[in-house]
Amino acid sequence: MTDDFDEHRKELFRNKSRRIALSYLKKAENINGMFNEMKSFFNVLKNIFVDFEDIKRKKEAKLIGSYCAMVPEELIYAAKGQPVRMCSGSYTAYSIGDEYAPRDACPLVKSVMGFNNINTMPMYDNCSLLIVPVSCDCKKKIAGLLMKNKNVFILSMPPSKTDDYYMNEFIKQLYKLIPVIEEETGNEITEKSLFEAIQLTGYAQYELSRFNSLKRKAPLLFNGSQVMSVMNAYAYMNAGEWGEQLKKLNDEAEKYLKNKEFSAKENYPRILITGSPIVFPNIKIPLLIEETGSHLTADETCMGERSLYDPAIIIENSFDSMLRGIANRYIKPCTCPVFGNNTQRIFKIKQMIKDYGIQGVIYHVLRGCLVYDYEYQLIENELSKINIPVIRVESDYSEEDTEQIRIRLEAFTEIIKMRNLKKAGRE
Amino acid sequence: MIRIRKSVIIVFILCIALILSAFFAKEFNFYSFDMMPYDYKMTFNNNKTSDISSVWFSYGDDREVIFNSNSDITDNIKFYEKTEESVNLKTYKEMTEIAENSIGYYIAAAPVQKFDYNNDGIDENVYDYTRADFGPHTFELAPRNFNVDNILFETAFEERKYIKVFFKNEILRNRTVNIISKDGDFKEYNTDENGFIKGLPSKVLRQGFTAVYSEGNNVYRIQYAIEDYDYFSSHFYKAFIPLLYVLFFSALGIMAIYFIREIYNRNKYGNIFAKKNKDFNFERYGKTYYSKFTIIRFLFLLFGFVMWTYLGKLISQGQTLNNIAIPVFSCPFNLDQTFESSCYYLTHLTILFTRNWKYIVSFLITLFIMLIFGGRILCGFMCPLGFVQDIVFKIRKTLHIKSIVLNDRANRLIQFIKWIWIILFIGFVFTGNDFCDICPNKVFSPALGGWWVNLALAGFLEVSLLVGSFYIDRFWCLMCPMGYILGIFYKYNIFKLKKDCTACTECGGCYEACSMRLKNIYTEREKENVQCVDCIMCGKCIEKCPENNALSLTLFGKTIYSSSRESFIKKYNKTRSDKSDR
Repeated sequence: MTDDFDEHRKELFRNKSRRIALSYLKKAENINGMFNEMKSFFNVLKNIFVDFEDIKRKKEAKLIGSYCAMVPEELIYAAKGQPVRMCSGSYTAYSIGDEYAPRDACPLVKSVMGFNNINTMPMYDNCSLLIVPVSCDCKKKIAGLLMKNKNVFILSMPPSKTDDYYMNEFIKQLYKLIPVIEEETGNEITEKSLFEAIQLTGYAQYELSRFNSLKRKAPLLFNGSQVMSVMNAYAYMNAGEWGEQLKKLNDEAEKYLKNKEFSAKENYPRILITGSPIVFPNIKIPLLIEETGSHLTADETCMGERSLYDPAIIIENSFDSMLRGIANRYIKPCTCPVFGNNTQRIFKIKQMIKDYGIQGVIYHVLRGCLVYDYEYQLIENELSKINIPVIRVESDYSEEDTEQIRIRLEAFTEIIKMRNLKKAGRE
Repeated sequence: MIRIRKSVIIVFILCIALILSAFFAKEFNFYSFDMMPYDYKMTFNNNKTSDISSVWFSYGDDREVIFNSNSDITDNIKFYEKTEESVNLKTYKEMTEIAENSIGYYIAAAPVQKFDYNNDGIDENVYDYTRADFGPHTFELAPRNFNVDNILFETAFEERKYIKVFFKNEILRNRTVNIISKDGDFKEYNTDENGFIKGLPSKVLRQGFTAVYSEGNNVYRIQYAIEDYDYFSSHFYKAFIPLLYVLFFSALGIMAIYFIREIYNRNKYGNIFAKKNKDFNFERYGKTYYSKFTIIRFLFLLFGFVMWTYLGKLISQGQTLNNIAIPVFSCPFNLDQTFESSCYYLTHLTILFTRNWKYIVSFLITLFIMLIFGGRILCGFMCPLGFVQDIVFKIRKTLHIKSIVLNDRANRLIQFIKWIWIILFIGFVFTGNDFCDICPNKVFSPALGGWWVNLALAGFLEVSLLVGSFYIDRFWCLMCPMGYILGIFYKYNIFKLKKDCTACTECGGCYEACSMRLKNIYTEREKENVQCVDCIMCGKCIEKCPENNALSLTLFGKTIYSSSRESFIKKYNKTRSDKSDR
């Protein structure tokens, strides 16, 4: 079904998406409190979205694409491959993908479809294997569409996390995935290489833990949209390199903490963003939050903390046990709403509110992302009990709704500020 | 239509088999010690010491009971051998052969001698006897005395630590008996209303002693030795034989299961599964981390094991501690236990109620104190059988062999077997049977302590226990009746496992790590107290929990050990674990 786009149209596409990506990168970079060590994360994003370069990796490493945070990266690293998160946030690709996907499909899927058809991103073209978890209906359909040009492995998700039967079925699936990856990369996944892969992502998780504890400091050390960019860069980097770089950032931030140089004032409202994935270059909402005078303190989205936060728990060093640990890491703590019973998301958000001292929650819904929309009411009800305001922000992959969202966010910020004033007055 | 699963049928058959075989436990002979003459050589020797002639029962090379006599009377000595049905009279020449149904008790009786025993100028009639209890260590309920007319004065070892005294085949009540230990110490003891001499140090008891009782012009002496041994003697090493058999068959069973699983998994998961899990190795990746809590727990377990196997002989010769019964699974066949284990009296209620009321009360009080305040922390920290299982499981871990992870359904089915064990544990005594015959903990402690114990069904069960606990963590604890009884009062325990439900991310690490496969710790989202009957408080869930303070172990409400992300994620810091990779 690949239509051959002529060079002219490709050039137009490149120019347009370059312009958008660059403008968002600049915006994010120019916020006060930019750290020197953050620049390399921004450079990664710049290389991919502005310069259209391939992902930097070892020469022999094959690129294996994943369409969700629930694809076990450790298996890919163990076969000496390089995983890359294919979920896209490109507005330009979205407008092209509109032709291939139905009207009500979510913009993320449309964007993915766009990239897969226009063949301008080397990242998409060089991928030899795609692993698509059937996390939602749209993912299921794109798996079918992608199959025509690419080698695709469909990973079905367990319907229930607490039932051992479904978890065992998922582990069986991983056993089926192993030879597929091995064949693609030509390297065998052994017990040792699997352990090393867990160590590799584990190191990134270790640094992320440090990063999180720094993020919790009040007043804030980091800007939320810059943090989002750092987290987004993980999708396009080797986990080890990302961890090394984050270590440098952590060290730098600790120096700032010692000197008490914070990037924000203390009385700014602290905001948590949750809901549909926020994928670069679609970081307009984080940027808007910062522009309206609030501070994006934490995120509960799958391109952010959720994909990496939970470590693989190795009970013992046998292959099966490690694989179980990996399967558990990707399924059990995952607060993705595709699982039927997802009350743990409420607990997770409540815990984050406590940890980060959150004063307001922004519930981000991409237009057409039904699973997240379903859970809005539940979360609103629960959070109203602990007196935390929630706002539902629906957005699309275009710049048209920016001003509209800005007005709503400004109002939201004012509400929180008023509340804080009242609280202060009462005391 | 009712659909009965295969696994339910298998468990049902297992339960039935367990009950049936329990009633015929003695018929399954696993290992019994030989009663051959060369093991129990009985010789007559005039030249043992230069000045007096003597008779002694020799027991291999390292053990003997000497019968002293002042004159050359050897030809007139009568030997009595106790068999299962009767008592045989023998001469010393016949003593080299042992009757088939002998239970290993012998008495030698010398003819009456007349000499001045107490140096008061008058000759007394001195009756001399020597008694030795050989043979495998058993606790039979029947009396141990010979009850023969010619034996006027007799002592018998009963209730595992007391000496019962008989005079003219009747119980000697409220009289003074002198006890001379092997070292030559002399002490007076009074027999109580049941003819028991109590408070005799176990050292004196084991090494052998002479009991002297005088009535009028008659003096009755008996030399008595129950089974004693020295560590690292040939008798001591021989006790290892059943243990070695058990280990050998366990190794066979482990290998059999290893290959059966490989075939089964190949059929079920395809070749890739078998390929990935095939080779076992000793490789160690990165650094192995043990939390302080784990090390302390291991030391406690090790101490418990040593305490219930050896320490009794070394520290509590006076038997002072031996009156306290602790509810753990340690074998009372090993008389060197520092504390008694309650399991013996709980499974032998009839024996418990023949004891005096003081003992019963103190037994019940210690039992309930342990039940209510200690609870299953004893399983995780003290139980010798738990230690054995942990060691076996650790061996599998270092070999990198895949473990069997029980799913929730298998875990529910095991509960059936647990209830069968509980019923056998409490009710077996009422059918006139002995739980010790089917207790799978009869191997390690006595064998390592040097006690000869014949194994029947218990040996087979021990093999299956070891094979099971090789693949499944704390396999026996899943169905331990003692443990269940310990856990009943978990609500009042001073140790408690607590969960901060807001901090939990439901990552399932606790469920994966749990020895007892408890799911409620993972799924609980409301209550703070997640402890339940089956929790042994081993702290594995806390060790594997990546969230700050999500799980904690408390003592009197104070947190003594809690989970922390920092200590968990520390393992992943590359600089600490794997430098070669960089």
